[in-house]
Amino acid sequence: MTCAFSHPVEGQPGTSRIRIASDPQGRPGFSKMTICLQCEDAGCVAACPANALWRDPATGAIYHKTDRCIGCQSCVLACPFGNMHWEEATNHPVKCDLCGGDPKCAKFCPSGALVFK
Amino acid sequence: MKILINGRAVTAFKGETVLTAARRAGVEIPTLCHHEAVEDSGACRMCMVEIREAGWDEDRTKLVTACLFPVEEGLSVQTDSPEVRRTRKEILELLLARSPEAEAVRVLAAKYGVESSPYPDREDAELPNCILCGICTRVCQALVTGAITMSERGPNKIVGPPFGEAADACIGCMACASSCPTNAIPVEDTGTTRTIWGRTFDLVPCAICGAPTGTREQIDWLAKKTGRAAADFEICVACKTKATGEVWHRISW
Repeated sequence: MTCAFSHPVEGQPGTSRIRIASDPQGRPGFSKMTICLQCEDAGCVAACPANALWRDPATGAIYHKTDRCIGCQSCVLACPFGNMHWEEATNHPVKCDLCGGDPKCAKFCPSGALVFK
Repeated sequence: MKILINGRAVTAFKGETVLTAARRAGVEIPTLCHHEAVEDSGACRMCMVEIREAGWDEDRTKLVTACLFPVEEGLSVQTDSPEVRRTRKEILELLLARSPEAEAVRVLAAKYGVESSPYPDREDAELPNCILCGICTRVCQALVTGAITMSERGPNKIVGPPFGEAADACIGCMACASSCPTNAIPVEDTGTTRTIWGRTFDLVPCAICGAPTGTREQIDWLAKKTGRAAADFEICVACKTKATGEVWHRISW
């Protein structure tokens, strides 16, 4: 929720970049969060025909440049981990942008399970 | 180098356009046909600005498109002069007659105080919201497969696959529709098929749950482009997320 509220679309909560994977078999304690892994050899970057996905050499994080995106969904198909999501409202994919260096998910996680360091 | 934009000295680099320099400096210039991923073409004329080159008489100016005009030493640019506003209004009247329902055109028209157009509306238009900006054709040509193009001339000019027939080259990726500034390109998604530009594509079902992924053609195109197996692309986002969770579960303690 924090993620969706941190990335609003026209005043409404946007698409969450962090997801909870629940267990199809219902094993206890399974629920795990998944989020962009900022892969070294990234499938999304290799698939993008418009160079809209780029890695900041300073931080190593991969960012999505909306202005360059052509909305072909290649990155959504290519991400092997299901961490690239399509946002209907903007016709663009969304991915974790680390909130520009201060991830709100980690800040608001009440149990301290999410840590950013 | 330094150029003057609305009287303010702004840093510009050799080879870039007035639009690039202005936007970097935070000066607003409206555009409809500009897209960062492709070359500019000066199609929509919304970015018209008034310039004066070094050495020109005080009262001599020229109207140019900011998206195509290269910066040069001593250039002076006015982005919101009476002449610029008058020109943009005129262009918006033409665009409004062509595509009265297009949201992006209406927003700009309202901003420039254009309420109605003195020109007659287009009748029986195939793509009523298309303003012929050419982002779709430039994107497809430069970055995807070049399946669509402009054809005919003057008032008959249209965008579409060659000869108006379903294009073999199209991979159904929807880049044209997604990057269209006026949402002019219709796409029909039924959950199992996608129809665009008169061609119907089957959507490959997710290998795990059967939900639609991409078109066969786009997946094959991606496999070739990235050197990965086509099967890599045939799992939906939700199933990939679950598989990632499964891995975390296996390796967590």
